[in-house]
Amino acid sequence: MTLPIREGKRKTASRKTAASPEKKSSGRRKPSRKRNTPGRFATELVGRVGELRLKYAKPDHRTIIDHSYVTTPWKLFPPIYLDDTGAAYTLLVNPSGGLVGGDYLSIDMSLEKNAHVLISAPSANRVYRTEGKVSDQYITITVGPDAVLEWFPEHTIPFAGSRFRQILHATLAPGATLLLWDAVASGRIAREERWAFTDLENEIRITTASGRSLLERYVINPATDLGRVGLAEEWNYVASFYVVNDALAPEVWTRLESKLVPILDERPGQVLGGVSTPNVPGLAIKLLARRAPDLTYMLDALWAVIRKEVLNLPPVSLRKY
Amino acid sequence: MNTPALLEGLRFVDTFFPSGGYAFSSGLEAAIQGGAVKTSDQFAKYIEDLLRGGMSRREALAVKLANRAGSAGLLGDAVQIDRELDATKLGRESRLASRQMGRQVIRVAADQILAKPILSEYRDEMEFERAPGHLAVTFGLTMGACGWNPEETAAAFLYQTAVGFISAAMRLTPMGQHEGQRILGEWLPLIERISREVDFDTAMSSWSPIQDIYAMRHGSLEWRLFRS
Repeated sequence: MTLPIREGKRKTASRKTAASPEKKSSGRRKPSRKRNTPGRFATELVGRVGELRLKYAKPDHRTIIDHSYVTTPWKLFPPIYLDDTGAAYTLLVNPSGGLVGGDYLSIDMSLEKNAHVLISAPSANRVYRTEGKVSDQYITITVGPDAVLEWFPEHTIPFAGSRFRQILHATLAPGATLLLWDAVASGRIAREERWAFTDLENEIRITTASGRSLLERYVINPATDLGRVGLAEEWNYVASFYVVNDALAPEVWTRLESKLVPILDERPGQVLGGVSTPNVPGLAIKLLARRAPDLTYMLDALWAVIRKEVLNLPPVSLRKY
Repeated sequence: MNTPALLEGLRFVDTFFPSGGYAFSSGLEAAIQGGAVKTSDQFAKYIEDLLRGGMSRREALAVKLANRAGSAGLLGDAVQIDRELDATKLGRESRLASRQMGRQVIRVAADQILAKPILSEYRDEMEFERAPGHLAVTFGLTMGACGWNPEETAAAFLYQTAVGFISAAMRLTPMGQHEGQRILGEWLPLIERISREVDFDTAMSSWSPIQDIYAMRHGSLEWRLFRS
């Protein structure tokens, strides 16, 4: 039986944050129901269907959050300015601890022209065991002309018996830059819980102004024949790092690739990594790691070189540890 | 399948067909140099893992979809599948290898199978850079035009791919012909299963991170026998 859908009271916040010289009416809006949102009473949805909408603008020397809309469990704090570049550092905060089956969290983020945003999270994205329902995370990103988005969330930890589906779609305007990191652990490794989730689906699509896309989509169902983990079972972390910008000369990517290759070889046996040019202007890096410190080291080392070559900026300290 | 259809399709499967496939190892050379593949058993597992996780729901699916699009004369569908496949191929050398081989197939097919206008139409899409021309798609289209059904075509594609890996391994390792035939025989049930089980409604996906990484690493090898 399909349950009726009612709009009950939901903990929401629609507000302006940071200094915004041209405040527009934010007005409360009904959260948009995505097509896959399960039909249930609204009280059931509180804390389970969470929306985070962020619109960034750069009215002067600093990027600000021009408009935001948040529903539980997402929490939004004002951006932090780590240096004098004016880049808005925003933490994706989900204080509920993680995702359970049936959760549907979404992020809809847009950057206006010339904005510079750095996204991270205070802790790993935990996905708990479920008796059947999938935990969904949908992310939509629009990066405006000459804007820069550095997307560096912590890795996802799929617990034994969990079901996780992440879909991330990013659309880039001409001259926009996207640095995107995505990492998944095999499970709670300290408990020797590895590749024990029920299924995991991860899709990353980056579309440039030309309409061409880069697409990474993997579906792992360890219990099935075609979906088994396979040879990757001996590794504990799998990560991707994408850098896309359609305005840079091809020589930049060639030079950058040659600088990244030796980094990926720095920890033989502990990290296996490769870098290449995808079908959109930029670089794709794939890596496997056995231990979290190696993964973190690789992220920092790769990010530092990419930041220097693509953005002409020094490494940034996120002050998380 | 009738005999004329069998024969028409076989020449596109045969290693005698000038696709240039002998020049590519799809990262196997890098895996051997990197120490991931040292024995014939490791080789067999490495490729089996690639066929199952990396190619079943990507190339094999693309082959089946393209075959169906070709049989129905749906040019736009085939182009869409081709572009989606192109988007998923993150490694430059593997992507270019697939495109080069695919272009050879559609050029020959369009020139010689004149009764099926979709082949020449697709070749034109490719020549005008509106379609990437990946092997899985042009092979699927061509075999569909020859009268092979999607499952048969996917099986033929995977078999051809498997033979290519055996051939590369025989040049890169001490593996002999008999050992190659033994491994090929062991892969056949998997090839049959993939060809049958991959569903048309499946979203294109791929999970072979180790093989993907070695394919990316091939470009930075100091010495190379293969182009990918």
